[in-house]
Amino acid sequence: MTTTAYSAPAEQYDYEIIKKFTIMAIVWAVVGMFVGVYIASELAWPWLNFDSPYFSFGRFRPVHTGAVIFGFGGSALFATSYYVVQRTCQTRLWGGGLIPFTFWGWQVVIVLAALSYVTGYSQGREYAEMEWPIDILIELVWVAYLAIYIGTLMKRKQPHIYVANWFYVSFILATALLHTFNNLAVPVGLFTLKSYSLFSGPMDAMTQWWYGHNAVGFFLTAAFLGMMYYFVPKHAGRPVYSYRLSIVHFWALSFMYMWVGTHHLHWTALPDWASTLGATFSIMLLLPSWGGMINGIMTLSGAWDKMRTDPIMRFMIVALSFYGMSTFEGPLMSLKDVNALSHYTDWTVGHVHSGALGWVAMISFGSIYHMLPRLWNTQMYSVKLINVHFWLATVGVLLYIVAMWISGIMQGLMWRAFDDFGNLQYSFVESVAAMHPFYAMRAIGGLFFLTGMCVMAYNCYKTIRQGQAEASNAAAVAQAA
Amino acid sequence: MFKKFTHEKIETNAGWLIVLTMFAISVGGLVEIAPLFLLDDTIEKVDGVRPYSPLEQRGRDIYIREGCYTCHSQMIRPFRDEQLRYGHYSLAAESKYDHPFQWGSKRTGPDLARVGGKYSNEWHTQHLIQPKSVVPESVMPNYPWLMSPLDASDVADRMRALRTTGVPYSLTQAEFEKNVKQFGEDHARMFHIPNAQTNLVSQAQAGNYDGDNTSVSEMDALVAYLQVLGTMVDFSKIKPEDLVKFR
Amino acid sequence: MLEWFANPANSKPLGLLIFFVTFCLIVLWVYGSRKRSERLEAHKNIPFLDDDNKDTPHG
Repeated sequence: MTTTAYSAPAEQYDYEIIKKFTIMAIVWAVVGMFVGVYIASELAWPWLNFDSPYFSFGRFRPVHTGAVIFGFGGSALFATSYYVVQRTCQTRLWGGGLIPFTFWGWQVVIVLAALSYVTGYSQGREYAEMEWPIDILIELVWVAYLAIYIGTLMKRKQPHIYVANWFYVSFILATALLHTFNNLAVPVGLFTLKSYSLFSGPMDAMTQWWYGHNAVGFFLTAAFLGMMYYFVPKHAGRPVYSYRLSIVHFWALSFMYMWVGTHHLHWTALPDWASTLGATFSIMLLLPSWGGMINGIMTLSGAWDKMRTDPIMRFMIVALSFYGMSTFEGPLMSLKDVNALSHYTDWTVGHVHSGALGWVAMISFGSIYHMLPRLWNTQMYSVKLINVHFWLATVGVLLYIVAMWISGIMQGLMWRAFDDFGNLQYSFVESVAAMHPFYAMRAIGGLFFLTGMCVMAYNCYKTIRQGQAEASNAAAVAQAA
Repeated sequence: MFKKFTHEKIETNAGWLIVLTMFAISVGGLVEIAPLFLLDDTIEKVDGVRPYSPLEQRGRDIYIREGCYTCHSQMIRPFRDEQLRYGHYSLAAESKYDHPFQWGSKRTGPDLARVGGKYSNEWHTQHLIQPKSVVPESVMPNYPWLMSPLDASDVADRMRALRTTGVPYSLTQAEFEKNVKQFGEDHARMFHIPNAQTNLVSQAQAGNYDGDNTSVSEMDALVAYLQVLGTMVDFSKIKPEDLVKFR
Repeated sequence: MLEWFANPANSKPLGLLIFFVTFCLIVLWVYGSRKRSERLEAHKNIPFLDDDNKDTPHG
């Protein structure tokens, strides 16, 4: 193949921005997962807090969630969405100066957020801890992102908008909506980061978990489904199993996810009708979720033979399996009786990570491994290392989830256990002590996952260097000729 | 006209895709959130719930700064075991001045909704500096830096911001009088923004929460906050039947 | 009648109703006509229409 044939798509599409976001996705994954392993270890071995305000669990935990959700997840979504929208619309990205702004703006957000948490500035709302100036920056980046995405869709050469783009669009719109309303706050002054949320008590709780669950629903699910609807068919070399199913999947998911946030507030001071409504929709959400999972798995099913040789394929199938599992577990945990046991325990933490590590991270790994060689016009440096990554990641997730299932259910049962005289059987601190082995096991599971991530970072680094070397060789040859 | 409108329009027109997606994602939030603001039985009508004093509010700020909510909830559920362990289930009214709410989602440590009055000030101070010294199995971090002086310079600004969100802190004489009627004179004085800093210092001096009366520390503020948690409502004066209709 | 809609206690059946009707309409629309089905299914090939010559799996 000639070099001209290879360089054509690079000119047709804007790959520079995708390259940047892909690299930062990998960097934030390593950083965020490292902090994750660290705070997990703090719970198992509290001396790791080092009596320092900057490393104490409470301040460090949002650094972890921010770096993995918005740093890794966000950058991976920017990268893949820019890739998918260009290639399915067969047009170059629209937006000019807005494009690099989304990159630099977003990276500044992640860094500032982390710095503000460790120095003691937090809104005290889970996954929305960023204080108001950072929120405004996010808003600006997001509006630019929306403009770029829609602008690119408008100038597409393909009459139909491919379904992956629908999911990305709903993710961008929903995130804008959620971010705006959940961060309404009154700053203490123009020159201080501190602010107080506009709402209080149950209204504030409702708004926060409407945001909180839909950060999962749209940021961590809808958008990654967009990824799935492009990269799974593309990598398997077969079109998606049923396009009609994907349409039903899209509308049902978009409509229903927004209702379910209240299942985080079962048995609380939130009015009962609201949490019951949330539970009802959570159960119904199983249908579109599994519709999507089946669609993905059926797409892969014609390519089972590749499973044995292609670890990227394995990442995808395992991601879809975890998606299926956690979207079954979620509705289960939203039942009031189950929630009475599971809420406030590690079971919730385990559930989140089966979705976040098993589904979100795995589908991103698969997509990045597919995309990276195409961006740099080369082959992956080592397929063997992808395989190593796959096994480290899978073992890591399993260790993590099993540890959290045991500790979560055990906690829940110990808290509600009564002795023969009708007194509480265990003091709270006895339940804390009982968690220790599982906290250690969880940290080890996380360490496996982190190690896999480091292997990926190394593999990607070598691939990029290899691509750059090939490109400069080709340029030298062209010049000599 | 209707005949012409097909799904093809949506698929091939980015504008329609956006409008309909916006519609699909807005319904759920509207149906669940809007009524909370419109219905008057979202929050129970009970006596005793009041805004935080300047010192308590600064303590609450520290609670949020240190991310206590990542391990402690402030929401007791109506179960027998929680009733025995923590006390009466939490009312919506008890967090009506909480900007933001701190109900939490995880109990790595126990619920704190009614921790007020359960332990002495000395215990709290000791426990926050080194939890293991009073609870050997604890996995809570040490917070020795809480003994540093409290920066109270902007407490009035903070109360002013909270006033904008709807907390009845007073700026004018009329607002003060209203607070006297609603919360009694002692409390109303505490909620008067012009006197915020003096009030803060005097409460810290009188309470001596951290056992060191020479200066106001962050510990003073945090312990003052912890000691008021869940103590505002006198449940001996409330009939359970009156609360049920709000659930 | 209108009061029934305004009562939050009825929001659950109401939500279910809205959802169920919408869902049925979408399903009917998507699967209702053969011609439409064929057209929709044709879109699944869009990811393979771009001009990347490394698209064969394992590229």
